[in-house]
Amino acid sequence: MSLTGRNSSSLVIDRLCDQTKEEDLAVAWSYCDYSIQQEQTVVNIMGAIVKQLVGRDGIPKDIREAFREAKKVGGRPLLVDLMRMLRIAIARLPQVFICIDALDECLPKDIPKLLESLRDIVRESPTTKIFLTGRPHVGDAIHRYFTKAVTIPISPNEGDIRNYVETRLDNDEVPEAMDNRLRAEIVRIIVDKMSNMYVGVSPLSKMYLLTIA
Amino acid sequence: MGWISPLEPDNRHHTVRTSRFDGVGDWLLETRELQEWRDGGADQAVLFCSGDPGVGKTHLR
Repeated sequence: MSLTGRNSSSLVIDRLCDQTKEEDLAVAWSYCDYSIQQEQTVVNIMGAIVKQLVGRDGIPKDIREAFREAKKVGGRPLLVDLMRMLRIAIARLPQVFICIDALDECLPKDIPKLLESLRDIVRESPTTKIFLTGRPHVGDAIHRYFTKAVTIPISPNEGDIRNYVETRLDNDEVPEAMDNRLRAEIVRIIVDKMSNMYVGVSPLSKMYLLTIA
Repeated sequence: MGWISPLEPDNRHHTVRTSRFDGVGDWLLETRELQEWRDGGADQAVLFCSGDPGVGKTHLR
Protein backbone atom coordinates (compact mmCIF):
# COMPACT_ATOMS: atom_id res chain seq x y z
CA MET A 1 0.00 0.00 0.00
CA SER A 2 1.16 3.50 -0.70
CA LEU A 3 2.66 6.14 1.50
CA THR A 4 -0.77 7.64 1.93
CA GLY A 5 -2.48 4.28 2.28
CA ARG A 6 -0.51 3.10 5.28
CA ASN A 7 -0.57 6.60 6.63
CA SER A 8 -4.36 6.58 6.36
CA SER A 9 -4.74 3.37 8.30
CA SER A 10 -2.35 4.34 11.05
CA LEU A 11 -3.95 7.80 11.35
CA VAL A 12 -7.45 6.37 11.61
CA ILE A 13 -6.31 3.75 14.12
CA ASP A 14 -4.58 6.42 16.23
CA ARG A 15 -7.59 8.73 16.08
CA LEU A 16 -9.92 5.91 17.18
CA CYS A 17 -7.51 4.82 19.92
CA ASP A 18 -7.44 8.41 21.22
CA GLN A 19 -11.21 8.30 21.43
CA THR A 20 -11.15 5.16 23.56
CA LYS A 21 -9.99 7.39 26.43
CA GLU A 22 -13.25 9.33 26.43
CA GLU A 23 -15.68 6.93 24.84
CA ASP A 24 -16.42 3.31 25.41
CA LEU A 25 -15.16 1.74 22.25
CA ALA A 26 -12.55 -0.79 21.23
CA VAL A 27 -10.24 -0.83 18.22
CA ALA A 28 -8.60 -3.84 16.58
CA TRP A 29 -6.58 -3.95 13.40
CA SER A 30 -4.37 -5.92 11.06
CA TYR A 31 -1.80 -4.64 8.53
CA CYS A 32 -1.56 -6.96 5.55
CA ASP A 33 1.73 -7.26 3.72
CA TYR A 34 2.92 -9.15 0.64
CA SER A 35 6.03 -10.24 2.46
CA ILE A 36 4.08 -12.27 5.03
CA GLN A 37 1.29 -13.58 2.80
CA GLN A 38 1.68 -17.17 3.94
CA GLU A 39 1.35 -16.17 7.56
CA GLN A 40 -1.55 -13.76 7.19
CA THR A 41 -4.26 -16.32 6.57
CA VAL A 42 -7.87 -15.51 7.36
CA VAL A 43 -7.53 -17.56 10.54
CA ASN A 44 -4.48 -15.59 11.67
CA ILE A 45 -5.99 -12.22 10.80
CA MET A 46 -9.21 -12.99 12.65
CA GLY A 47 -7.09 -14.43 15.46
CA ALA A 48 -5.17 -11.17 15.68
CA ILE A 49 -8.47 -9.27 15.94
CA VAL A 50 -9.62 -11.61 18.73
CA LYS A 51 -6.32 -11.17 20.57
CA GLN A 52 -6.71 -7.41 20.62
CA LEU A 53 -10.33 -7.44 21.72
CA VAL A 54 -10.06 -10.00 24.50
CA GLY A 55 -6.70 -8.85 25.78
CA ARG A 56 -7.95 -5.57 27.17
CA ASP A 57 -9.05 -6.56 30.67
CA GLY A 58 -7.91 -10.13 30.94
CA ILE A 59 -9.71 -12.97 29.28
CA PRO A 60 -13.37 -13.37 30.30
CA LYS A 61 -14.49 -16.78 31.53
CA ASP A 62 -16.73 -17.68 28.59
CA ILE A 63 -13.95 -16.88 26.13
CA ARG A 64 -11.48 -18.93 28.19
CA GLU A 65 -13.85 -21.83 27.88
CA ALA A 66 -14.17 -21.35 24.15
CA PHE A 67 -10.34 -21.40 24.00
CA ARG A 68 -10.13 -24.55 26.02
CA GLU A 69 -12.67 -26.35 23.86
CA ALA A 70 -10.90 -25.31 20.71
CA LYS A 71 -7.53 -26.38 22.09
CA LYS A 72 -8.91 -29.77 23.10
CA VAL A 73 -9.47 -30.60 19.45
CA GLY A 74 -5.76 -29.93 19.03
CA GLY A 75 -3.54 -28.02 16.66
CA ARG A 76 -4.33 -24.54 15.46
CA PRO A 77 -7.63 -22.81 16.14
CA LEU A 78 -10.23 -23.09 13.40
CA LEU A 79 -12.01 -20.11 11.90
CA VAL A 80 -15.23 -21.30 13.49
CA ASP A 81 -13.61 -21.22 16.97
CA LEU A 82 -12.26 -17.73 16.40
CA MET A 83 -15.59 -16.45 15.13
CA ARG A 84 -17.22 -17.81 18.27
CA MET A 85 -14.64 -16.06 20.48
CA LEU A 86 -15.03 -12.89 18.47
CA ARG A 87 -18.82 -12.94 18.88
CA ILE A 88 -18.44 -13.32 22.64
CA ALA A 89 -15.81 -10.56 22.80
CA ILE A 90 -17.82 -8.12 20.69
CA ALA A 91 -21.00 -8.76 22.66
CA ARG A 92 -19.20 -7.57 25.80
CA LEU A 93 -18.08 -4.29 24.23
CA PRO A 94 -20.28 -1.29 23.46
CA GLN A 95 -18.75 -0.58 20.06
CA VAL A 96 -15.96 -2.18 18.07
CA PHE A 97 -13.93 -0.78 15.16
CA ILE A 98 -11.99 -3.23 13.00
CA CYS A 99 -9.35 -1.85 10.59
CA ILE A 100 -7.72 -3.97 7.87
CA ASP A 101 -4.90 -2.24 6.00
CA ALA A 102 -3.93 -3.24 2.44
CA LEU A 103 -6.56 -5.90 1.89
CA ASP A 104 -5.15 -6.43 -1.62
CA GLU A 105 -1.89 -7.71 -0.10
CA CYS A 106 -3.63 -10.83 1.19
CA LEU A 107 -3.52 -13.94 -0.97
CA PRO A 108 -6.33 -13.57 -3.53
CA LYS A 109 -7.97 -16.75 -2.27
CA ASP A 110 -8.15 -15.35 1.27
CA ILE A 111 -9.88 -12.07 0.39
CA PRO A 112 -13.44 -13.41 -0.13
CA LYS A 113 -13.27 -15.49 3.05
CA LEU A 114 -12.00 -12.55 5.07
CA LEU A 115 -14.74 -10.27 3.72
CA GLU A 116 -17.34 -12.95 4.39
CA SER A 117 -16.15 -13.27 8.00
CA LEU A 118 -16.31 -9.50 8.47
CA ARG A 119 -19.79 -9.42 6.95
CA ASP A 120 -20.96 -12.12 9.37
CA ILE A 121 -19.71 -10.02 12.27
CA VAL A 122 -21.42 -6.85 11.07
CA ARG A 123 -24.68 -8.76 10.52
CA GLU A 124 -24.66 -10.10 14.03
CA SER A 125 -23.35 -6.99 15.66
CA PRO A 126 -24.68 -3.97 13.76
CA THR A 127 -22.73 -1.44 15.85
CA THR A 128 -19.40 -2.84 14.60
CA LYS A 129 -17.62 -0.67 12.04
CA ILE A 130 -15.08 -1.81 9.46
CA PHE A 131 -12.30 0.32 7.95
CA LEU A 132 -10.50 -1.09 4.91
CA THR A 133 -7.72 0.17 2.68
CA GLY A 134 -6.43 -1.31 -0.55
CA ARG A 135 -5.73 -0.76 -4.20
CA PRO A 136 -8.84 0.20 -6.19
CA HIS A 137 -9.34 -3.26 -7.68
CA VAL A 138 -10.35 -4.83 -4.35
CA GLY A 139 -13.28 -2.38 -4.31
CA ASP A 140 -15.31 -4.82 -6.44
CA ALA A 141 -14.88 -7.63 -3.94
CA ILE A 142 -15.69 -5.30 -1.04
CA HIS A 143 -18.90 -4.17 -2.72
CA ARG A 144 -19.95 -7.75 -3.35
CA TYR A 145 -20.00 -8.32 0.40
CA PHE A 146 -20.92 -4.81 1.52
CA THR A 147 -23.16 -3.20 -1.08
CA LYS A 148 -23.37 0.02 0.93
CA ALA A 149 -19.64 0.42 1.56
CA VAL A 150 -18.52 4.03 1.10
CA THR A 151 -15.31 4.58 -0.87
CA ILE A 152 -12.84 7.43 -0.36
CA PRO A 153 -10.24 7.71 -3.13
CA ILE A 154 -6.82 8.44 -1.68
CA SER A 155 -3.99 10.14 -3.52
CA PRO A 156 -1.49 12.60 -2.12
CA ASN A 157 -2.79 16.15 -2.48
CA GLU A 158 -0.60 19.21 -2.84
CA GLY A 159 -0.34 19.66 0.92
CA ASP A 160 0.73 16.04 1.37
CA ILE A 161 3.44 16.36 -1.30
CA ARG A 162 4.67 19.62 0.26
CA ASN A 163 4.82 18.00 3.70
CA TYR A 164 6.72 15.06 2.34
CA VAL A 165 9.30 17.17 0.49
CA GLU A 166 9.78 19.46 3.50
CA THR A 167 10.35 16.47 5.76
CA ARG A 168 12.93 15.03 3.39
CA LEU A 169 14.73 18.38 3.24
CA ASP A 170 14.69 18.64 7.04
CA ASN A 171 16.54 15.32 7.14
CA ASP A 172 19.08 16.36 4.54
CA GLU A 173 22.51 15.03 5.41
CA VAL A 174 24.30 18.13 4.11
CA PRO A 175 22.19 20.97 5.49
CA GLU A 176 24.98 23.55 5.07
CA ALA A 177 24.60 23.23 1.30
CA MET A 178 21.07 24.61 1.61
CA ASP A 179 19.81 28.13 2.18
CA ASN A 180 16.22 29.30 2.50
CA ARG A 181 15.97 30.47 -1.07
CA LEU A 182 17.24 27.22 -2.53
CA ARG A 183 14.97 25.30 -0.20
CA ALA A 184 11.89 27.29 -1.22
CA GLU A 185 12.81 26.82 -4.87
CA ILE A 186 13.17 23.05 -4.49
CA VAL A 187 9.83 22.76 -2.73
CA ARG A 188 8.09 24.99 -5.30
CA ILE A 189 9.40 23.08 -8.32
CA ILE A 190 8.78 19.59 -6.97
CA VAL A 191 5.29 20.38 -5.71
CA ASP A 192 4.48 22.06 -9.02
CA LYS A 193 5.78 19.19 -11.15
CA MET A 194 4.23 16.50 -9.02
CA SER A 195 0.84 18.19 -8.86
CA ASN A 196 0.84 18.42 -12.65
CA MET A 197 1.79 14.78 -12.97
CA TYR A 198 -1.14 13.81 -10.81
CA VAL A 199 -3.47 15.71 -13.09
CA GLY A 200 -1.93 14.15 -16.20
CA VAL A 201 -1.83 10.76 -14.72
CA SER A 202 -0.97 7.29 -15.73
CA PRO A 203 -1.09 4.85 -12.83
CA LEU A 204 2.55 4.03 -13.50
CA SER A 205 3.70 7.64 -13.18
CA LYS A 206 2.02 7.78 -9.79
CA MET A 207 4.13 4.87 -8.63
CA TYR A 208 7.35 6.77 -9.14
CA LEU A 209 6.29 10.17 -7.92
CA LEU A 210 7.35 9.79 -4.35
CA THR A 211 10.64 8.18 -5.29
CA ILE A 212 11.55 11.30 -7.27
CA ALA A 213 11.06 13.41 -4.16
CA MET B 1 -2.16 -15.64 23.20
CA GLY B 2 0.37 -16.59 20.53
CA TRP B 3 -1.69 -19.70 20.00
CA ILE B 4 -4.58 -17.64 18.68
CA SER B 5 -2.46 -15.88 16.06
CA PRO B 6 1.24 -15.39 15.33
CA LEU B 7 0.52 -11.91 13.93
CA GLU B 8 1.52 -8.97 16.12
CA PRO B 9 -0.65 -6.04 15.06
CA ASP B 10 0.61 -3.77 17.84
CA ASN B 11 4.21 -4.11 16.66
CA ARG B 12 3.21 -3.47 13.06
CA HIS B 13 1.25 -0.40 14.04
CA HIS B 14 4.19 0.94 16.00
CA THR B 15 6.51 0.49 13.01
CA VAL B 16 4.11 2.16 10.61
CA ARG B 17 3.33 5.11 12.85
CA THR B 18 6.98 5.83 13.61
CA SER B 19 7.79 6.00 9.89
CA ARG B 20 4.74 8.16 9.23
CA PHE B 21 5.18 11.57 7.68
CA ASP B 22 3.57 14.19 9.87
CA GLY B 23 0.64 15.87 8.27
CA VAL B 24 0.41 13.52 5.28
CA GLY B 25 -3.16 12.28 4.97
CA ASP B 26 -4.52 14.41 7.82
CA TRP B 27 -7.25 15.70 5.50
CA LEU B 28 -8.78 12.22 5.58
CA LEU B 29 -9.69 12.56 9.25
CA GLU B 30 -11.74 15.65 8.47
CA THR B 31 -13.76 14.22 5.60
CA ARG B 32 -17.52 13.97 5.95
CA GLU B 33 -17.34 10.32 4.83
CA LEU B 34 -15.03 9.36 7.68
CA GLN B 35 -17.06 11.21 10.28
CA GLU B 36 -20.33 9.73 9.03
CA TRP B 37 -18.83 6.27 9.07
CA ARG B 38 -17.60 6.74 12.62
CA ASP B 39 -20.79 8.24 14.01
CA GLY B 40 -23.40 6.78 11.67
CA GLY B 41 -25.73 3.83 12.01
CA ALA B 42 -25.50 0.23 10.91
CA ASP B 43 -26.11 1.03 7.25
CA GLN B 44 -22.71 2.79 7.16
CA ALA B 45 -20.72 -0.08 8.57
CA VAL B 46 -17.90 -0.12 6.02
CA LEU B 47 -15.50 2.55 4.79
CA PHE B 48 -13.00 1.73 2.05
CA CYS B 49 -10.00 3.95 1.33
CA SER B 50 -8.96 3.16 -2.19
CA GLY B 51 -5.51 4.11 -3.43
CA ASP B 52 -2.98 3.28 -6.10
CA PRO B 53 0.33 1.83 -5.03
CA GLY B 54 3.05 4.32 -4.16
CA VAL B 55 6.60 3.44 -3.31
CA GLY B 56 7.25 0.70 -0.85
CA LYS B 57 7.67 1.74 2.74
CA THR B 58 11.38 0.91 2.61
CA HIS B 59 11.91 3.90 0.30
CA LEU B 60 10.45 6.21 2.86
CA ARG B 61 12.92 5.79 5.65
